[in-house]
Amino acid sequence: MGKAIVVKKKAGTAKAGIKKASGALSVEVAGIKFKNPVLTASGTFGYGIEFAPYTDLNLLGGIVVKGLSLRPREGNPGPRIVETPCGMLNAIGLQNVGVDAFIKEKLPLLKKYKTRVIANIFGETIEDYAEVASRLEDAGGVDAIEVNISCPNVKKGGIVFGTDPKEAFKVISKVRSSTGLPVITKLSPNVTDIKVMVRAVEDAGTDAISLINTLTGMVVDVEKRRPVLATATGGLSGPAIRPVAVRMVWQAASVAKTPIIGMGGIMTAKDALEFIIAGASAVQVGTANFVDPDAAAKIVSGIEDYVKRHSTTVRELIGSLKM
Amino acid sequence: MEARSREILYNEGVAPGYFRLGLRWKGAGIRPGHFVMVRVSDGLDPLLRRPLGVYRVGHGTVELLYAVVGKGTEILSKKMPGESVDLLGPLGNGFTLPAKGHRAVLVAGGMGIVPLYMLAKKVKKSVLLFGARSAKEASVADDFKGLGINIKIATNDGSVGKKGLVTDLLQDEIRPGDIIYACGPVGMLKKIATIAAHAGVSCQVSLERSMACGIGVCLGCAVKASSHKEASNRNYRMVCSEGPVFDSEDIDWERL
Repeated sequence: MGKAIVVKKKAGTAKAGIKKASGALSVEVAGIKFKNPVLTASGTFGYGIEFAPYTDLNLLGGIVVKGLSLRPREGNPGPRIVETPCGMLNAIGLQNVGVDAFIKEKLPLLKKYKTRVIANIFGETIEDYAEVASRLEDAGGVDAIEVNISCPNVKKGGIVFGTDPKEAFKVISKVRSSTGLPVITKLSPNVTDIKVMVRAVEDAGTDAISLINTLTGMVVDVEKRRPVLATATGGLSGPAIRPVAVRMVWQAASVAKTPIIGMGGIMTAKDALEFIIAGASAVQVGTANFVDPDAAAKIVSGIEDYVKRHSTTVRELIGSLKM
Repeated sequence: MEARSREILYNEGVAPGYFRLGLRWKGAGIRPGHFVMVRVSDGLDPLLRRPLGVYRVGHGTVELLYAVVGKGTEILSKKMPGESVDLLGPLGNGFTLPAKGHRAVLVAGGMGIVPLYMLAKKVKKSVLLFGARSAKEASVADDFKGLGINIKIATNDGSVGKKGLVTDLLQDEIRPGDIIYACGPVGMLKKIATIAAHAGVSCQVSLERSMACGIGVCLGCAVKASSHKEASNRNYRMVCSEGPVFDSEDIDWERL
C-alpha cells in the first residue's frame, strides 16, 4: 500500500512520465488509480526491470509481472514457442523464480519506478494461491494481485480452476480472504460462456477481471508428423486472437459489476481503444512487447493523441460502444 | 541498447540462398558471438523478430550474413539498399577468447560460419574447419582468406576439400590444449561436444533456437542444462540472455 502513497506524493514534482498522467488518461480499477490505462501483461514483460534499457517504465500505467508460484518452477522442455500467422504459441510452463526470490531480488528494483506493480500469481492447490498472495502483501510495494486461474488443481486431479466456475469461486474466495490487496482475476477464454465465469469470480469477491488469457492451440510439423511444441499444445497470443478477445471483453462487460481489464493481441493504440470502447477500463499489452519493447509506451502516447483529438477522456470512452 | 532503424547499404545474394546484408551502423559494443533481433516488416505476419548473427563490423558498416529459410528471411532478402530495417541489439554473450598459448579451432557447419568471422579476426594462429554442402556454399569461407587463419573444408559432395563431414576434419585436427569454437546444426554440435570431451579440450558452442524477444523475458528459447552443473530448479538456460554461446559441457545434448 506504501506504493500508492509514494505515487501520489511525487505526482506534482516528478519527471515526464508522471506529467503525462493527465486527468484525461487516468482510470480507476479495483480501487487503484492508474495514471493511464496501459499495463503490460504477465509473462511478456519479465519482472519489468529487464525492459528498463529499452523503454521508460515510468510511462506505463502498470506492470503485471511474470506469474509467481510458491516455489520456483523450471518450466517445460523446448521447443516452447512457435510462430503462427499473426501470432505465436507458447508453452513456457510457468517458469518463474518463485515468490520469495521475487520479493527479495526483483521487487526492490521494480519499486523504484513510478508505475503500478501488479503481481500475477498461480498455484497447484488453493492453499498455494493463498500463501503466495499473503507473502506478497507482507512484502509491501505490490499494488494488486492478479490471479491466474488457468492452471490445473493438482489436488483435484488436474481440473483447471479457470474452466470450472465452482473451482474458480473457491480459489478466488480463498485469495480474497488471505490478502487485503485488490484482487484481479484473469480469466481463460477456453470456456463456453465467459459470463458464467465472470459471475462466479465476482461472487467470490474479485475486485476486477482481466481477460483474455491465451487460447489453446497446436501446430503440427508435417515432415516429422509431430507437434512442434514439446508439450503438443500451447497458448495462442498476438493480433490473431484480438477479435476473439474484444468479443469476450464486450460479453464480460455486459454482465460484470467490477471493472474489466482487456487484453489479447493489442499492438497499437487503436487496438487498445477497441477494448476500452467495448467495455474495458484498462488494457494489457502482451506479445507486442516481444516485437517492440517500447510498444506499451507508444500505445500510451497514441491513446493520449486520440483523447485530445476527440476532446474526451479515457473514462468517458470506457464502454462507450454504440449499438 | 535499443530498437533502432538502420539503413540498408547492400543486400546481395552470395552462395545459394545466402545473403549479405550491409547496414549503416558503427556497431559499437559488438563482440564475436553477438546477435541482433531483426524486424523484417512492419506488418503482423510474420510477427516476431528474427535472431540473426552479426558477421562483420567495419568502416561504419555492420554486415549480417543470413540464409533464406522461411517467410521472414524471404521478406528480408527482397529489401533494397536505401530501405531500412529495425534492429534490436547487440544481444547475448559472445565467445570467450582463448588464453595465451591455446590454439583456437573454429568449426562451422553451413550458416554456422556467421559468428566465427569476428572471432577469426581476434585469434592468432587458428584454424577454421568448414563443412558445406557444395563448393558453392563453401565459397563463403573465402572471406576468411587474408585473416591469417588456416582454412580446411569438407563438403558433402566432395566438390571441394575433403568429401565428408566437418567433424571428420576435427577428429584429425584436434590436439591437446586446443579450444574449439563451434556453430552449426545441432547434430554436428553434439558430435563436436563428444569429440571435445574425449580429447579433453574445452569447447564453446553457439546455439540457435526459436525466440520471441531476444532479451530473456519470453523464456521461449530454453535449452536443457547438463545436470552436473546445476541445482534442480535451474535446469534450463535461455539461449538469448545466457547464451547463445555456452560451454559444451553445460548443455544436455541428449535432450536438446
